[in-house]
Amino acid sequence: MDVRRSDVDSATTPTRQRQSWRNSVRTLNTTTRPLFYSGVLTAPRVSTVRRRSNAHQIDNDVDPNQMALLVKEKWELSRVTPMYNFRYTELKAYSKNLSAFLLEEKQQGTAAAVAGYDKVFAVTFSTISGVAKTKDDAETVFIQINSKPVFAAAGDAPKVVWSGWLTCVRAAPQYLQSLPPEFVCLPVFCSSGAQSLTFLVQSWFERTFDCSFGSLDLSPTDLQWLAAIWTSYHNERKIRSLKLKWTLPSEPPLDVTMAVDGQDAWDLWDSTHQQEDANDIYIEHVKRFLNCIETHFYRHFNIHLSAGVLKRVATEGASVHIDGKVKICPEYLPSTMELLTECAILRMPL
Amino acid sequence: MDPAVRNLLLRILRKIPTGKLEETLTKWTHLSRTQQQSLNYSQSKWILHENIVYLCEENGLTMKHVSELDMIYCMENPTSATWRACQLTDAEDDASSVELISFKEQFKAHLSELIRNVSIKIKKHDDESIWIRIAWGDHFSKPNHLKPTYVVHYLQTPYVFICNLSSKNKLLLHQALVLATKHGSIKDANLSGRSFHAVRDLLMGHYNKTFPTSHSRPLKERNLSPTHPNIVKEHIEQAEKRQQLAREAFGEGTVPKLERATYTLETRFRGGSGIDTFIDSERPFKTVVTFESKSLLASLRHCVSSGMAESPVSPLLSSITQKGRNYFVITDKTNKGPDMTTQSFRSNV
Amino acid sequence: MLKPFRKVPVLNTANLLLVENEEQLQSRLGEIILQIEKDVKINVRLARKLPLPMDTQDSRPRIDLVVFIVNLMSERSLQCAEKSIKCLDPGFFLGKVCFVVTGARCLSVSTNHLLTVRKMAASLHCPLLFAEDQTSEGVSTVAVRLLGILKVAAGLVPLATGLSLNSLAHCVLPSDLDELDSLT
Repeated sequence: MDVRRSDVDSATTPTRQRQSWRNSVRTLNTTTRPLFYSGVLTAPRVSTVRRRSNAHQIDNDVDPNQMALLVKEKWELSRVTPMYNFRYTELKAYSKNLSAFLLEEKQQGTAAAVAGYDKVFAVTFSTISGVAKTKDDAETVFIQINSKPVFAAAGDAPKVVWSGWLTCVRAAPQYLQSLPPEFVCLPVFCSSGAQSLTFLVQSWFERTFDCSFGSLDLSPTDLQWLAAIWTSYHNERKIRSLKLKWTLPSEPPLDVTMAVDGQDAWDLWDSTHQQEDANDIYIEHVKRFLNCIETHFYRHFNIHLSAGVLKRVATEGASVHIDGKVKICPEYLPSTMELLTECAILRMPL
Repeated sequence: MDPAVRNLLLRILRKIPTGKLEETLTKWTHLSRTQQQSLNYSQSKWILHENIVYLCEENGLTMKHVSELDMIYCMENPTSATWRACQLTDAEDDASSVELISFKEQFKAHLSELIRNVSIKIKKHDDESIWIRIAWGDHFSKPNHLKPTYVVHYLQTPYVFICNLSSKNKLLLHQALVLATKHGSIKDANLSGRSFHAVRDLLMGHYNKTFPTSHSRPLKERNLSPTHPNIVKEHIEQAEKRQQLAREAFGEGTVPKLERATYTLETRFRGGSGIDTFIDSERPFKTVVTFESKSLLASLRHCVSSGMAESPVSPLLSSITQKGRNYFVITDKTNKGPDMTTQSFRSNV
Repeated sequence: MLKPFRKVPVLNTANLLLVENEEQLQSRLGEIILQIEKDVKINVRLARKLPLPMDTQDSRPRIDLVVFIVNLMSERSLQCAEKSIKCLDPGFFLGKVCFVVTGARCLSVSTNHLLTVRKMAASLHCPLLFAEDQTSEGVSTVAVRLLGILKVAAGLVPLATGLSLNSLAHCVLPSDLDELDSLT
């Protein structure tokens, strides 16, 4: 045990550092028993209660122009292990570095298909303040890749070909505290644009910050949480209809979509969720809410929706797919990202 | 060749898969045998299409000929767009005496009266159906052959099938149809799908006739009984019953290919106990439920036979085949009879 | 209610009851078990759920092992198993019940369901097997293991009983799970 601890202190190279981080987590697991638990086969530690954040607060927290960037696209989700030696003061250098990396890859032919040979990539890194909600959360980083002609004429506006961001909202403090100080934890990576560019950006991060990316698939329970949370914001953001899509394993597969009238969904949620403190949402209420909707369906069609899998949840402003695709609106941003942060940390390899 | 004709021809050719191209061109008969033989179907699509356009130019073909090619392909492969079924109502006394020639004349005359610059082409299919291709224009523009409307009507029946009709032209077409078939009005039959044949079979009842009646055929075991004598199924009877119910509700073998069914539920909430909001009030719980599948009837049949759906089969689902519809609005019966759980079907016209 | 000792045992015979709501795996398992076992006469009964229908009661032999097959991808599969267990005489839980789960590979969908099955198996002191139902090798592996348990449960293995096997092979939850549960 002591050897491992000293490992943490003495490690200097990034690879060794990650090794030691793994060890330190293991050490913690066996000695102090942290609250979080990432053992995949044993018990996933999923929250059973969530606090709704006040939706009005968000408008003031995040700059509207930056918020517009986050809510515009449909994002593909990945999870990222903590990044070694990521510094917010170096963002300019990272922009240059990543541009150079893409240029090099383009010359090798990988990224050429995206932009064509007469174009160059310009990368900008920026931070979006206000997304992080606690002092432990690292500031959100936004990356945009523009393509512009090598010999740009005056009128040629650069075209956005790819954008992505790394975020962390209310991550479990026990988890963050278990990390050595050289690490920055931004576990959720959202990307939108050509797959090949996503792959290149990811590999640049992996090389530069010794982290690793993986897919962030969600579970039906996560989708149920989001269905309930989004419905609970009905007073802040009117929902016209709450759309739930199940896929039943018949031959051929059968998709069942229920679009529940927004006001009716809210009334149902309101009556399944009779709590003193309306801002606390318990998993029991979420399950009951969904169960009521499934039962209503069953009484009409005699089909058990529980035989299938809930695959997609959507309202007008937002949607989430079980494969890890998400679109959000400002009101839902904090709660949704909090849930995704938790999912990403749970799926983190040890 | 007029660039518009050339453009349309290329567009139609691109729509036709190479495997079906030769057959379609033969049916078209506007290229001579030697011309057709000169074409090499193993060439790249682009070159092949250019060659065909060249031959058509040589023959001096016009828009009329080219739109005919479109029609021939559509009649053979009516699966490219959504077909909506309509039903003619209030037949006049002599409605049953309408035959092809008079229908053709009447329809063309009425529609041309209602709108200028419209190009109409009418053909009879082998199965007695009449196919109409309409390219719409208006007072200032020529008929747009790129987005034609197709209409299929079986004479002496009230059924009409329409695809690619914009709401702007809906009234005009309806009026021309009603007058030409000697009916009083036309209404939506609440049935649509991508396969014309499936929509037709469901609505015109060709399909219902294949239904097994429950007593006439003995229970045939289809892979239900285990292969080994030492394996016994405890629930074999229920399984057989489910199979039979599934067949009765959704048909046997290959079923018409529908893609979706939509139910607008405006019924009382039945989601469970303790939810006071909806139980106390008479307010409906409004939901739109959509079922989607590559072959909806096959999926539903499998749901029932595999037990994902409990028996009995919900009347809402079996109505798809029984009533030949896939769009329903469901409300609770308003008269408070003893049975509050029954639902009524309301058409959405 | 299915009772373990209502009928007399038959010499050199083992009787297996496979309960699976989806009916995906059970008949394949049954066939393989019958194929590989040559010495002992084996009867396999397939059911979707418990209780079993009354009309097959007379023809049904004494059941030596009840196997619940749960597909983790389907909540309904789990619900049916939970309901079915209640229709089993407590005598079965002395070494005559076993759980098999499928679909554990797709963890993002099934973590919660897996946890529920594990808790269920652990609280009933039953073995829990993981089956790979996508490959034929996976299915035969499970079949072999089930056959082993079945022979013990039927008393065909000298010096071994279902109860003693259970005490060795029953499912245990990681020790920290309860602690962690109490914390949240």
